Order: sequence, then C-alpha cells, then structure tokens
Amino acid sequence: MNDKLRVAEKELTQEMLRDPGEALRAPAVTPSVPYPIETLVPEVRQQTPAVGQRATRPDGRLHGLGQTKYIDDLAFPGMLHAKIKRAGIASALIRSIDTSAAEAMPGVMAVLTGREIPVNSFGPSLQDQPVLCDERVFHAGDGVAAVAAVTEDIALEALEKIKIQYEPLTPVLDPLEAMRDDAPKVHPPASNIYSHKIIKKGDVAQGFADSYRIFEGRFRTQMVEHVPLEPHASIGMWDSNGRLTVYSSLGRITLGRTDIARTLQLPINRVHIVATIVGGNFGGKNEITQEPVVALLAKKTGRPVKAVYSRGEEFTSSTTRHPIIMDYKTGVARDGKILARQVKLYLDGGAYCSWSETTLGKACILSPGPYNIENVEAEAFVIYTNKTVTGAMRGFGAPQVCFAYESHMDDIAKALGIDPLEIRLRNAFSEGAISPTGQVLHSVVVRESLERAAERFGWQESRS
Amino acid sequence: MKRRGRGIACMWYPIGFTVAANPSAATVKVNEDGTATLLTGTVETGQGSLTVLGQIAAEELGIATEDVHVVSADTDVTPMDTGAIASRTTYVTGNATRLAAEKAKAILFNVAAPMLGVRPDQLEARDRKIQVKRFPQRQLPIGQVAQHALFVKGEPPIGSASFNPPTVAMDPETGQGLPFATYVYATQIAEVDVDDETGEVEVLRIVASHDCGTAINPMLVEGQIEGGISMGIGLALQEEILFDDKGRQINPNLTNYIMPTSLDMPEIEVDIVPSYDPTGPFGAKGVGEPTSVPTAAAILNAIHDAVGARVHSLPATAEKVLAAIKAARAQDGKQLPGAQRAIAGPSN
Repeated sequence: MNDKLRVAEKELTQEMLRDPGEALRAPAVTPSVPYPIETLVPEVRQQTPAVGQRATRPDGRLHGLGQTKYIDDLAFPGMLHAKIKRAGIASALIRSIDTSAAEAMPGVMAVLTGREIPVNSFGPSLQDQPVLCDERVFHAGDGVAAVAAVTEDIALEALEKIKIQYEPLTPVLDPLEAMRDDAPKVHPPASNIYSHKIIKKGDVAQGFADSYRIFEGRFRTQMVEHVPLEPHASIGMWDSNGRLTVYSSLGRITLGRTDIARTLQLPINRVHIVATIVGGNFGGKNEITQEPVVALLAKKTGRPVKAVYSRGEEFTSSTTRHPIIMDYKTGVARDGKILARQVKLYLDGGAYCSWSETTLGKACILSPGPYNIENVEAEAFVIYTNKTVTGAMRGFGAPQVCFAYESHMDDIAKALGIDPLEIRLRNAFSEGAISPTGQVLHSVVVRESLERAAERFGWQESRS
Repeated sequence: MKRRGRGIACMWYPIGFTVAANPSAATVKVNEDGTATLLTGTVETGQGSLTVLGQIAAEELGIATEDVHVVSADTDVTPMDTGAIASRTTYVTGNATRLAAEKAKAILFNVAAPMLGVRPDQLEARDRKIQVKRFPQRQLPIGQVAQHALFVKGEPPIGSASFNPPTVAMDPETGQGLPFATYVYATQIAEVDVDDETGEVEVLRIVASHDCGTAINPMLVEGQIEGGISMGIGLALQEEILFDDKGRQINPNLTNYIMPTSLDMPEIEVDIVPSYDPTGPFGAKGVGEPTSVPTAAAILNAIHDAVGARVHSLPATAEKVLAAIKAARAQDGKQLPGAQRAIAGPSN
C-alpha cells in the first residue's frame, strides 16, 4: 500500500516536471515538489574503497528530473534582461555611437558603451580584448553597446535603435597573408604574429641527409565551435555595501573573479562569483565575456541584470577552435624508423589572443607525435586575423596536429609497404622515452594502447 | 559502391598548463559522524569531476563516496582553483584533495592512537573505521574518533592543501624543458564505409584504448570517451564555421552548422589501458580532452584505406572526399602501364 502510494506520488511529480508550461520557467511560482524526492543510493556509492567504483553522479538524478538550476533558471526580484549589439563588420573605426533613441524607449532602463567600462580590456595572457569596443572593431562578432530592459524583446528592439557610424577598414582574413609585412595590422602598430614557439632537438639537416626517403605534406583544419547546450549566461547584482555578486556559467571562477575585478576596478574581496552547474564547457567558458557588462548595467539601474547569449552569439562572439595550417617533412629509414621531422604550424589566432599562447605551446610540443625521433624541429606561429576569436577548445591544438602527424604516418607506411600498426609500434615512445623537449617520460603506455586497440578491433584478422 | 576501410591513430596529451603555474587548493572537513565535506574551487561542467574528487577524498579517509558532500565553485566559500581546463581536475585538484584529506586524517590518527594504544603511524583508515595496520580487530568507527577529536580533544579534523604540477621552463631558443608533469596516451581505430560515387562517409565503429592512469571512476571515463568521440566525428566530417569575403560568418546557427547527432554515432568500444602514475592521486592522470584528439585522424586514415584517397583538410565533407577519389583515380590512371600504352598508342 505504502509502496503504491510512493509510486503514485513519484509519477505525479514526474508529470509536473514534464509540464513545459510557463509556470516552470518563472521560478517565483514553481510547482511544489515533495522534498526530498525519494533517493535511491546505489550500492556502489556505499562501497569502500571508493576509488575504482562506478559511482553515479549526485547531480545525475537532478539532470534526469529536470531539476538542475542553470543560470537561465534563476530569477531575482526586479531583474532586467541585457542584450549586446554586435558590430557585424570585421574591421572598422568607430566614429560615433548614438544611443539616445534606444534610451528613450519605454522599458529600456540603461544603455552601456565601451567608454563607460573602467578598464576596457581583458585576456588570459595578453589583455588585447575590449569588453565592448570603443574606438575600433576587430571582428564582426565584437560587442559595441549593451542595453538593459524589462524584457529581452524590448532589449533586442532597443539594439536596433542604437546608431553607430563606422569608418570601414580592409579586414585581413587569411593567416598566411596576415603574416606578410605589407598586410593590414589587426592591432596596429603591433605585428600580426603575436606569439611564436620553437623546439629543436638533434640535427634535422643531418637526419634528412641520412634518410632513405623524405616525405612532405601540408594539412589544414577548420574553425569549429564548442556548441555547449547551455549558452554563456550571467546575472549581476550589487548589495548596498557596494559588493558585487555575479552568477556565471564560467568554468574558472578564481581567474574570472580577477578579470572582473580588474575591468571594474574593484578590490577582489568585493567581487563574489557563484558558478552553478555548467551545461557544457569544452574550453569555451574559460574566460569572462559579458560579466562586466551585466555588472555595470546592474550598477546603473540598481537592479539585478541577466544576460544569456543567443545561439548565434555562441558562434560569432564566443571563442572557437584554431584553424591550423600544418607543414610536415619527415625523413625515414628503409624500415620505417623516423630519423628526422620538421614541422611548421600557422595558427589562425582570430581577433584576440585569448588562449592562443597555450594552444600554440601544446600544438608545437605535441606536433612530432608520440614517437622516438632523434632530430626534431617544430616551429609554430599564431597570427591575428579579423575573424572570430580562437581560444581554448578541448585538446588545445592537439586534435589538429594529431590529424596531420597520423595522416602523414599512414602515407609513409603505404609508400614503404609497412602495415600502419607496425610502423607505429616501430616508432612509438616506450617507458623512459625522451620527448621533443628533452623530458624523460614516465608511465608511458602508447604501445600498450596500440596493441590493445588492435586486438579489440581485430586488426590482424580484418586485413584480407 | 560502398567501400569499407579502417584507420588507426595514436596520440599523446599532457595534463595541466604548459609550464605556467596552475595550482588547486582544497579543504576537507570530517564531520562528527564520520561523513565529510570537501570544498573545491573547480566547477562541474558536466564531466562528473565533483564525483571523482569525492571518491578521492573518500578513499583517503577510508569512507564511501556517498559519505562525502562536495561544495564547489563559489569564490566566497571555496579555495582557489585554476578550474575545469586542460584536463587537469583529476590530477591537480585531485592531488590537492587527497593531500587535504590526508591532513584531516592525520588529526584523526593523532586522536585515535592513544585510544587504541598505538602510534599514529601504525594506523590506517578503511571501511569507515580507523584500525591498527595488520590487526583490524583493534579499531574504532571513524565517527567516534571524529567526535572525540572535536568534543574531547578540541581538535576539529580539518585539512587544507594545495598542489601545483612541477614543471621546468622551456628554453626560448631550443624549447628544451619540462613543460608538463605528466602525459596520457591513447589509440583509436575507426571503421568506415565510403560511398565512392557520392563521397559520403559513415563511421561504423570506433575502438578507443585510452590511458588515464588509475580510472578513479571507470563509468565517467567511458562517458568522457564517448563524448570526446562525438566531438571528434564532428571535427572529422561535418563541423565548419564558414566566412564570407568580408569576414562575417555565413552559418552561425545549428541549421547550417552541421553537428553529429545520436544518429551519426558509431558503435563505440571503450578500453581503459591499465596504467599507474605515481605522481597522481591514487595513480590517476586525466581523460577529458584526449578523448577527442585521435578520432578525426583515425577516421581520415580509414577513408584513405577505403578509397585510396587522402583528404588533406578537415572536415572531410562528401564533396572533398569525392574530389579526392577523382584525383586519386586520375593519378592511378596515369601510373598504370596499360593506360600509358593507351595514351601513347596513336602516335606509335
């Protein structure tokens, strides 16, 4: 009887949670849910030792019931909605910004431009990115002004009424063209090549001279987006003591707090960042975006201000993966042993540095592949273009260079008539191997992974 | 017709930042009943890292995962952390968590030692008990020790610690140095069907053998690998942001920017390579990013194996694959002795 009742209650709860009605979206009137919802603790969570157990996630149940509170599920009394106007032009000087018509609109509570931001720059290694552009536009997805209004629709309408006069400049879009001395500068007077890395081990010239054959190839990759299910979102509000609280989808709150304090010129102890559960990051939520904007709009209006990126803004105005042009030259012995490898990488850095230096470093270090090579030279450049910002994304350049070195490896194997698995096993690192940077490697299991994957796949059997 | 091919790709990938300091700190509080609270500044971004950190704290304290409540991601409450980036949470925040739990445990051992009549270094924490090593009958429930520590001895069992992966700066001229504390390794093998009349590629199966050191939670490792492969398939075959000649995006929407859906997912076989890294928490390294590193390479090699055509740029769309097939056939035609004779024929 009791059990039946519990089941009935549960079903009712689930029905209520499935209701897609407006009531669910307005947290002030959420339907009542009997708490605590009956929790079944799987046996595995109760076991000791804990390491190695297939323990379920405590948040999994909340996700399953649709009870996880993301930023957009939060609301505060009197909260306003902010939207950012995007430049839509890749390179230009800003002549004037006229916000008067937008400000006059009923329902618009405040408008913000770049000139009102105390320190209008940020970035993890180079602070080359404005929160909102004030004098110059660097790529089409740049923010140029922001509006806080009582509804999102009014804010969007107000963006249309902001009049901006641009003096268009010639954009530079191709990284190889941008490297040339006569190319237009993205951040004048700075060079478009904003970071460079080189790794040298052994003597590549001698290695090539000793080689049985030399192979060359150029590989390219594209720009892709992280596409997290939850877009970038934040809510800013102040207390009467002048302390700022920001709810944010940031994946790195400690450094986010430093950046927010810096752009707003606040002592760090007056900034409080709360990150809720993030709906997907993949590297795209590792730096601040609109947090200073919601904070300043909240300050201007004296009300909490929420901003959520549209899917379009996720593409145009968040960071993306670096497209890389990769030139490989490899000298091999008759048995497929790699004697020398030279790599040149050209990373399209987009309009701002963001996490490019880390991506450049990792791509360059990893580019020779997990192989014992006596003679290595890898050089990498990252170049400004007037395109969407490229930054951190799952693998920091590694998927790109892996595509290149592994395609190149198969081309070599085919030309020499060696099985692709065999050529890898002949060259792969083993315990104590020395990396291209001279590091002695420990707990190296690349051979084991090759052998186990081949065994599981049936590599030997499937070859007819 | 459809042609089947298989491709292999292996990779290496580092844990943590390139040389730059990327510390994590953690605080572990043991409650009066032997349950515990972990404070961490990292953020749960869907990967299950908080569960893994809870398991690490539980293991060190000899309690169960369920006994640890993890509080995260509030700058007023939780200690400094470099965050959910660079596949570093299990290794770096995990090490900090283990060290913090070890400190809390040391307080418990100091309190329990006189109660059990031994020295603290003769004790171990297991199965929610503090017991004498090799003599498990002499034991006290961890809750009893924690209560004694707090209410009798006045020593709350709290531990805080931090960890930063040791690195050596790279020489600016030669790049020689120790940029990372540790690396993981992996191999993926893809099986594909390529339609040689349309260039369409279907990924049928991917076998993924990944090293993550000790798998703190094998289920979450499998989840990461499956998710990483889906991103890798998008990179290999479908996803691309396109620009017009003025530098504006053409396809900033999910209608024209094609991503893999569940229908595009192949059969995935996950294999966790046995491995132990003595510098990681309980031998663990990490797994987040590397899961999507070798996928595109394996698929492109499988396309090459199926139709003998090398696509040099990602994504390998049907158009590019078809063009590569045609180019490869034209090349083969020239090299065939028969074809050469045929061309040379009329002039003879």
